[in-house]
Amino acid sequence: MHHAWHVLIDPFQYQFMVKALLVGALVGIVSAVLSCFVTLKGQSLLGDAVSHAVLPGVVLAYLAGIPFGAGALVSGLSAVLLIGWIERNTRLRSDAVIGIVFTTYFGVGLILASMIPRLSDWVYSSFGYRAPLMSVNTILFGNVLGIADSDALQTLVIGVVTLGLVVVFRRDLLLFCFDPNYARAIGINVRRLSMLLQLLLALTIVVALQTIGIVLVVAMLVAPGAIAYMLTNRFDRMLLIAVASSVVSCVSGIYASYYLNASTGGSIVFIQSLVFLAVLCLAPKPGLFAQMRTRNAIRPTPRTTP
Amino acid sequence: MVFNLWDWFAEPFQFSFMQTALIVSTFVGVVSAVLSCYLILKGWSLMGDALSHAVLPGVVFSYILGLPFAIGSFVSGLLCALTIGWVKQHSRVKEDTVIGLVFTAVFALGLILISRTPSDVHLMHFIYGNALGIEHDDFIQTLVSGAIVLVVVAILRRDLMLFCFDPNHARAIGLNTTVLHYLLLALLTLTVVAALQAVGLILAIAMLITPGAIGYLLTERFDRMMLLAVGAAVLSSVIGVYASFYLDASTGGCIVATQAMLFFAVMILGPRRGLLGQALQRRRTRQVIASNKPIAAYDGP
Repeated sequence: MHHAWHVLIDPFQYQFMVKALLVGALVGIVSAVLSCFVTLKGQSLLGDAVSHAVLPGVVLAYLAGIPFGAGALVSGLSAVLLIGWIERNTRLRSDAVIGIVFTTYFGVGLILASMIPRLSDWVYSSFGYRAPLMSVNTILFGNVLGIADSDALQTLVIGVVTLGLVVVFRRDLLLFCFDPNYARAIGINVRRLSMLLQLLLALTIVVALQTIGIVLVVAMLVAPGAIAYMLTNRFDRMLLIAVASSVVSCVSGIYASYYLNASTGGSIVFIQSLVFLAVLCLAPKPGLFAQMRTRNAIRPTPRTTP
Repeated sequence: MVFNLWDWFAEPFQFSFMQTALIVSTFVGVVSAVLSCYLILKGWSLMGDALSHAVLPGVVFSYILGLPFAIGSFVSGLLCALTIGWVKQHSRVKEDTVIGLVFTAVFALGLILISRTPSDVHLMHFIYGNALGIEHDDFIQTLVSGAIVLVVVAILRRDLMLFCFDPNHARAIGLNTTVLHYLLLALLTLTVVAALQAVGLILAIAMLITPGAIGYLLTERFDRMMLLAVGAAVLSSVIGVYASFYLDASTGGCIVATQAMLFFAVMILGPRRGLLGQALQRRRTRQVIASNKPIAAYDGP
């Protein structure tokens, strides 16, 4: 018992752990909330795409010394606009268009990343600014255990802003996700709401970047909503369950990463997947065990006598 | 001037690693382009994305156990595909959500394994690609996987095409669509395995979508689509490898960027559906209407 208590409390003596847990919890909340909207609207693939599309923006922002969030937003949102433009002007299916755009952005991002030393020299010789040493791995896979104070603050601020926007627009967003035609019929500007949702998606990705990294952000945008969707039909409960599961996964993932010296983003996502698996099996109605019980109840017991 | 151009063209070839890189990238491009035509038709671009991520734990396991990476990644990818199908059948979660869930879980597992495995440089090559430094064993595995895909496609190309284009019709004329479904998944996984070392798994996705899209924009006929896709892929691979040599930048990134530029060129300048052509067409039509010619005198665009 004593030992378990220590396991829980020991990390708190380190400032980097306190920071990491705080940021991780916020990331959990914001991504869970967005996840509910995104999975309802069926835009999980777009979330995957935007998370990859921020790479060139983040690399350029670091090289230029501007906040990485700004670079990520510009990059991500320009990708979304580009996807929309191509979709409107060709007969390609949307999943193919999304795939082309985000892989292109990501490819360009990798080119830039592979040229960081030379680009950094160029920036230094032209503007006198030398970017701090940074590895593209940090952007791709996250590094909340090593997050700098300024980045943590940036994340917290953007996270709060995002949540604030969701709170303000929650009814319209909800209606838009459930029934866009009805929303349009009662006069809601559906195009603007769609853009708002994409903006919120991009902001969430910026929030989650430092913790989870680009590659796994889509998991944070998909799993909490899916978990909650298996357990309830009511949206308010769905939000609560999603947030709870997400925060638990983030916090325990950070603990696991600290003690096992394993990838933080990977640990968080893996724990979250285990939660989904548990829910898949154990959920009251749609869960597997319940389904098996129902089937056994319906099937008549075999007769032992002819 | 001409002499300098030839030098510039031939210089990379004096390095054997460049020759290897060109061969690998072009070969991978061809195989991926062929698969991409089927994927575009079937609407499986997201599946390509998922399977490219899903092979990661297989790669790490192979490395740990000392097996050829092709085997581990193939098993890993196929398991992921089967899991996706199973979860979709047994839960009420939507398909693209299920795909996202499963492949990120599998990929996360792979990342955890990498972070705990010593000497992860070689493993990182599977993520970023390493055409310029590909090792002999990996090169052989790439060739073998790709060759298997090409042979199977050559034999079954019509059945696969029908299955992708109109599965109901395929079933109606007696084709076993279940087998074709899993066969296509297996071919997709093998293609990803082949592409891993050349462009890395993140960019293997691009090679599985863009060439097919380029072909799709230019023609309605499947055989021409495949030719165009393969042509685009070969061109992008060659230009991309050259660019990465002279810019000293990521090879996979250069190839994908070149493919994207080809795609935009085709999208805007394409003969039938190109945006420029359509805009000019509309202008011509407006001029005809504005000129108030009687309908009978109008002899068409």
